[in-house]
Amino acid sequence: MTTITGLTIVLAVLMILSGGRRGAVSFISLLLNFTLLFLTVILIAGGLPILTVTFLSAICILAITIYLGNNEETETNVAFLATLAVLGIMVLLVVPLDHLAQIQGFSNEESEEIEAFNLAIGVNFEAIVITTTLLSTLGAIAEAAIAIASGMTEIIRQTGDHGDEELRKSGRNIGFQIMGMTFNTLFFGMFGGNLALFILLYKLHASFGYYLNSKIFVSELFVVIYSAIAVILVIWITIEFMILKAHKIYDRK
Amino acid sequence: MKKKNILLEILVLFLGGLALYTFTTNDAFLYRQPLLKISAVKNGKTRVTKDEFNNHDKQTIQKVTGYILNGTDRGKKYTFNNTYTESGGMDQHLYAGQQVFVNVYQQRDQTSVSIITFKRDTYLAMLLWLMACLLFIVMQVKGLRTIGSVILNFVLFLFVVQLDVNWNFTSFFGIFAVSALIFTVLTLVLILGWNKQCLVTLSAIIIGTATALGLCVLVMWITKDKGMHYEALDFATQQPKQLFLSSSLIGLLGTVMDAATDIVSTLFEMKRRQPQVSFKRLYFSGRKVGNSIMGPLINVLLLIFFAETITLAILYFRTGNSIGYTFSWTMSLGLVQALISGIGITLVIPSASFLAAITLGRMEK
Repeated sequence: MTTITGLTIVLAVLMILSGGRRGAVSFISLLLNFTLLFLTVILIAGGLPILTVTFLSAICILAITIYLGNNEETETNVAFLATLAVLGIMVLLVVPLDHLAQIQGFSNEESEEIEAFNLAIGVNFEAIVITTTLLSTLGAIAEAAIAIASGMTEIIRQTGDHGDEELRKSGRNIGFQIMGMTFNTLFFGMFGGNLALFILLYKLHASFGYYLNSKIFVSELFVVIYSAIAVILVIWITIEFMILKAHKIYDRK
Repeated sequence: MKKKNILLEILVLFLGGLALYTFTTNDAFLYRQPLLKISAVKNGKTRVTKDEFNNHDKQTIQKVTGYILNGTDRGKKYTFNNTYTESGGMDQHLYAGQQVFVNVYQQRDQTSVSIITFKRDTYLAMLLWLMACLLFIVMQVKGLRTIGSVILNFVLFLFVVQLDVNWNFTSFFGIFAVSALIFTVLTLVLILGWNKQCLVTLSAIIIGTATALGLCVLVMWITKDKGMHYEALDFATQQPKQLFLSSSLIGLLGTVMDAATDIVSTLFEMKRRQPQVSFKRLYFSGRKVGNSIMGPLINVLLLIFFAETITLAILYFRTGNSIGYTFSWTMSLGLVQALISGIGITLVIPSASFLAAITLGRMEK
């Protein structure tokens, strides 16, 4: 048994123990997402239009993440719509800015790793970096949207109607703490993942100006900042959508 | 009155951005590295290339002319050649008006230049500015405090990296484990303040992270690290397995912190709005919130780690590597990190729910 298989089994068991049926469904949604991601890479490598493939698989990943793990119709619908809106906004932001900043492909630091390859492989690396950026923000926005929507639904259900302003205040309270934590998840996730790079850069005595301009560092920072922007947007939009939804719930009662 | 204030705020934010743009496009004097502004580009003939895997690409040589913006060579004109491919894997198409950092060197009896890197600080500054504006608009001044905690953590992180390099321990995992604990305490105190909620969250995080990491190391030991290509770790300059575990720990901590805070903050909010709520109800609400965020949260990590491997994976696929080979050399390490974080999340849900419920349940007595 390989280590990956072992860890996957442990995760599956723990998820089912913690969440029962729902945990099992969450695990399946992770498997589906992984398959989709893998398929996306294969399709792009096969030469299909990169941005179209990315956009379609992004919508599928959002739908799987939000709907499959959660049965509450109210919160999932709100979260899904909010994430779609943010995905649209992010495309408008990422496409021009990534072109201007020229962060595609590989950096000089990676040249050792890829020296055996001929890089003229006829793939648009600029479109690939857009794929990378959009996909890596998806998880964070889906998570923030679902956390706020479920937190607010729980509060509405447990304590009843106290008016829009009170609800918005509760939403912002949750949103604020979630945002801080999501930033840290992103930060720890990405910089933790690049620990080896930081150690290398420090050993090379990189200057401050180098950090602000080098492709490897700027592209990593860009992904973190894009994700942060997407999360702020999704918190805002989810709270407002949730308030609109709350009106409908109270009317029905 | 209120409308006027908002208009004024937007105007200030916009002007601030404009000032920042103007400054960063003219900040050559701040750099010691020679900076060259491209004034003219002449494109040569485009050549079609083809490799043994039948990948077609186009290669063009440009004649680039520019002048130095800073230092002793200021104003001096240089002309050099730049080769770019249409796919742009490591090279780039240059245009007039762009700024690049260069090395000036002596070649026989004349000086010439070679490009080090493109100047990107303007775009970085603009993006940071956009983020700060949005934070301010959505969360007011309070929002900027979150950035403060991230920046503080980042500075600390660089400091820890420095310690690691300078001390050069053989078992450097300890350095990162201790600093991970410091990161957590600092972040929580900055976001939640030093109070009961912070203490509850902190204990839940420590329990969750420690059990998860222990469990994963146990699994790695039982399976004898089969299929783990630690040597595929990028940029590794220290013992790869420890380096991998250190970076997994940092990633794990972030998500566990996220899950614990989500659960504990929702329960405290519930208590605030409904002081009579019982232990049982709190505990089950906590589990419920936890289970609903579990899937999406593990997904965050899956997507972050997977997205980082996409470019390399496509390169592997396009150059005739099999799916299995590409997976194990480009994706498996990232996937294991995501799995470790996932295990951490599932373990922190019961501990956070229980600790928060028992604390709040006692308060009512």
